[in-house]
Amino acid sequence: MILNNFSAEPSSFRDNLGNIFYFENKVIRTINKIGKKNFEFILDKKILEDSISNNFLINTKIVRKDDLPNFFSKFEYVVESDFIPYISYPYEWSFEQLKYAAICHLDFQIFLFDKGAVLRDASAYNIQFIGSKPVFIDLLSIKEYEDGEHWFGYKQFCDNFLNPLLLGSIKGIQHNGWFRGNFEGIQTVELNKLLNLWDKLSLRIFSHVHLQAKSITQSIESSNKISKKFHSINKLSKNSYISIIKQLRDWISNLSFKKETTVWKNYSKENTYDDAEYKQKKKIVSEFIRKRNPNTIIDLGCNDGDYSNLCLDHGVKNVVGFDFDHNSISRAFLRAMNNKRSFLPLVLDASNPSPSQGWFQKERKGFLERFNADALIALAFEHHLVIAKNIPIEQFIDWLLNISKNGLIEFVPKSDETIQKMLRFREDVFLNYSETEFENCLKAKSNIINKNLITKSGRIIYEYKAS
Amino acid sequence: MINMINMRRLFFITLLICMTNTSAYAYIDPGLGSILIQATIGAIAAVSLTIKIYWQKIKDFFIKRKKKDFDSK
Repeated sequence: MILNNFSAEPSSFRDNLGNIFYFENKVIRTINKIGKKNFEFILDKKILEDSISNNFLINTKIVRKDDLPNFFSKFEYVVESDFIPYISYPYEWSFEQLKYAAICHLDFQIFLFDKGAVLRDASAYNIQFIGSKPVFIDLLSIKEYEDGEHWFGYKQFCDNFLNPLLLGSIKGIQHNGWFRGNFEGIQTVELNKLLNLWDKLSLRIFSHVHLQAKSITQSIESSNKISKKFHSINKLSKNSYISIIKQLRDWISNLSFKKETTVWKNYSKENTYDDAEYKQKKKIVSEFIRKRNPNTIIDLGCNDGDYSNLCLDHGVKNVVGFDFDHNSISRAFLRAMNNKRSFLPLVLDASNPSPSQGWFQKERKGFLERFNADALIALAFEHHLVIAKNIPIEQFIDWLLNISKNGLIEFVPKSDETIQKMLRFREDVFLNYSETEFENCLKAKSNIINKNLITKSGRIIYEYKAS
Repeated sequence: MINMINMRRLFFITLLICMTNTSAYAYIDPGLGSILIQATIGAIAAVSLTIKIYWQKIKDFFIKRKKKDFDSK
């Protein structure tokens, strides 16, 4: 059956130049009459070609409309972009990921500026990670530079990138919760209220945060009056435009998260396993990958990404890792980026995963809509939900089965040192928590293929397969 | 680079913004203020970058000279 009615990707409704559709596992971008001139500028100046060959823009090619259903014939141009294995959002990124996404955006702006083009907006959602590599995905954001124009994406850049990064580097506060709550980022006026006089002694913070916040506040209060006052200098020189971008590039590349120690800092080195147990665990994961040969893996509780990297070593094409700890995800990302691995680590509180939100609650998709894989590994993860968050075992297993029908789950018994520590200052309400109970719940929903005792304390790795 | 008249205007506007304290009505046009302040921010950025480039040149000059002295010894 040939489909002839398509719905645009819910997140692309704001763009009046074109939309995104999915057809036969392809990502199709349409360019309408309004976007035609802009797109032809990008083509004529070879900007599309050069942006792709310089790894700034996702690989995109023009498609013949005759090769597509009739529905697409009404558009001026139709292009196909490479499929992004996993879509992630800035509120799931660590500080380092947001920083490299910001650098990717600014480097692309500098590259385009040389070609007489700029980006019309600065949404962090326009950057996606393919493995550990950030790439710009929205070609219709590229436009011709007009002499004297302002950087219209400046406010959005500050809200989406600069302010969340400053929150981390000056105050040591992670941006994720705030960004998720107000998914257009952190507003300059709000950040300005948090910064003290000492913070503002920096000329860059004074100008980009304090002055901008004051200007925003004042312009809202009396926009007509202010517009007239500024009328005589309402053009921005080319030099000022590019200087702002270069200054931000220089500044952001030197930002780092305010140092602090977390419980997980040396977890993969100083955990409760001895060397032999660690080796056995790696052997079980390796055998599982060799046997099942999955293309995609989700690693829940990935920490620094030791097992994710092991999966990649055994030929898995894409691995997404999740961890509650922001610092672990930062380290895992830097490690993956330096080694050019197809590994995307993301911040996740599994007891409260990313919801479907935004306009119509469809603009940004929830966790389960985006993340499923051929197989999953959940090692030293179960007790952080079942014990620490009181999630019933059967619900925990249901949730895992929604992510993948195959996988490895490590069960941690109550006698284990980690659970003993967790229960030290709280009432033990887990009277039915046992290996038998866990096994019965897993059996009720799937087949247990293998069971391996891995520690002296009684930790067990179960291999399951559900239909 | 920015001429003196524009520089004076920018200084005046910056002063005006710093001295005015108003409350926000965030539903009108929060983007306008970010656009209006760009000339000031752009000027600060341009001057900072120029100073940085010259400072780097000065540093490079002395480092090279020091290295030359060291090599000749």
